[in-house]
Amino acid sequence: MSSTIQEDHPGVADAAAAREAFAAWVEAAEEGRVFGQVRVKAVEPGIYSLRHVEDAGNSDLRLHEDPREAREISKTTEGGEYRPLKSSPNLRRGWELRVSGAVDLVVAMNYLYPAGVVHWHAHREGRLEVTSYRENAARQSGIYKRVQRLSDEGVQDTARACCEDAVCLKQTLWDVDEETPLVMDRGEGDIPCPEPCSVFVSLARRVRLFEREKKRDLDAIGLSPSEKEDLAALVEAAATGHVDFAREAEFEKPLNERRMRYRRLTLAPKLRPEAQPVSSA
Amino acid sequence: MRALIIVGHGSHLNEDSSLPVYEHAERIRRTGEFDEVVECFWKEEPSMRHALDTVESDEVFVVPAFISEGYFTQQVIPREFGLDGPVTVKGHKTVRYAGPLGTFEGMPDVILERVEDLMRGRETNGRTALVLLGHGTDLNKNSGGVIYLNAARIRERGLYDEVGVGFLDQKPEIGSVVEDADADDVILIPVFIADGWHTRETIPEDLGLTGEVTHLEGKRVFYGAPVGTHPSMANLIVARARETELLPGKETQVV
Repeated sequence: MSSTIQEDHPGVADAAAAREAFAAWVEAAEEGRVFGQVRVKAVEPGIYSLRHVEDAGNSDLRLHEDPREAREISKTTEGGEYRPLKSSPNLRRGWELRVSGAVDLVVAMNYLYPAGVVHWHAHREGRLEVTSYRENAARQSGIYKRVQRLSDEGVQDTARACCEDAVCLKQTLWDVDEETPLVMDRGEGDIPCPEPCSVFVSLARRVRLFEREKKRDLDAIGLSPSEKEDLAALVEAAATGHVDFAREAEFEKPLNERRMRYRRLTLAPKLRPEAQPVSSA
Repeated sequence: MRALIIVGHGSHLNEDSSLPVYEHAERIRRTGEFDEVVECFWKEEPSMRHALDTVESDEVFVVPAFISEGYFTQQVIPREFGLDGPVTVKGHKTVRYAGPLGTFEGMPDVILERVEDLMRGRETNGRTALVLLGHGTDLNKNSGGVIYLNAARIRERGLYDEVGVGFLDQKPEIGSVVEDADADDVILIPVFIADGWHTRETIPEDLGLTGEVTHLEGKRVFYGAPVGTHPSMANLIVARARETELLPGKETQVV
């Protein structure tokens, strides 16, 4: 599913037009706009204030005036954990960025939500090029080549585990392929996701490994080795009262949030076949 | 307008992996040579796939912050950017694709600057060996080849009694470079882009290094910082970009 970005130049977004459109969009709303977890507001024409959406009424914020300081702001969570995915809903609070002019505004936005503004604009104009899972997987190589063999069901479960608003604020626009739409809550946010990202592909690779063991290594009650590993880790964590969560994109470890979200979709129904499917949000 | 895009590997787990790319980008930004300087990564955002979307310039230079010519520079980066050669025209944009940093003729100078940093205020005694440490892999001969290339270029200058190499994933292994050096003083320089797991943990552990200076097997071993984080790498990135302007014009390869 590809559409043209510019009539005469397919695949080339117009970053300058996006910049002006974004600044105008922000200026048009007196209370500002919410983009991801950031409230962007024009405090006077051409002067923009950015802060965490939950810091709207907070006057005790650390002020930054260099738009490139947005990179440090977006790098770690409140608890100091590295954020490999900037659209995760774990942007830290306590800061205000005050920048002058649309160029600096977009510099800051691109560190908070990389390529978010240009994709927002292209999507609004109906010209955002979208790449399906299968198209993306087809070009993978090396250790990621195996994601080509991930089943449609595996793609669906991975997307629900990796892309819903609870873990990513982008609006998922891509599908499994042209005929197979994703069945999930795609999100309501203003930042479009035109293609599976590297975090998604990395989780997809892990899920493909799970699929392979399901075929050959199931025990008498139908559990795979990695499912048992995850259950053991959960039992251990609960028994000691110490849950040592894996890092956000550390999918090879049992106590990873997205890996557990995948287990909720695929393992929980196996353990409780009589129960209603859990809402995945 | 002219844009420079620096491509790094990046990491899903390690926040320091991309730091050299950001620091070199900032150094280059301050020179004003490019209207835009943008960072992008394989494992971080913005992805290589979307980096071109974010630049406004019509003249774009893509420089990989990678040491060797190989899987990433020959396969992954061109594929993700949609490049079909050294010069690709995409819409209004002419995209010039540069070679990796490690093979560039200016690389030995940066390695020697790293040695200078390490040895400032220190004197060598007796026979002195310089050993370049690389990742290497048996899967691609270019990965180790670039380390041999730089060792040969430095050897030609006749500055050290010997210039050797050592690798993490191929022979000769890093663990034996000190033992194998026929020297009283051994200077080790990691030819890596970032300061991370390999430079801080695997290499010191393989060799039993305790800091910048370690006494091992009757030799003094000096261990330097990785070449890739040296400020002069920014000049190398720019030189790589400039070099692409000598390539044939855009008229020849229209996509």
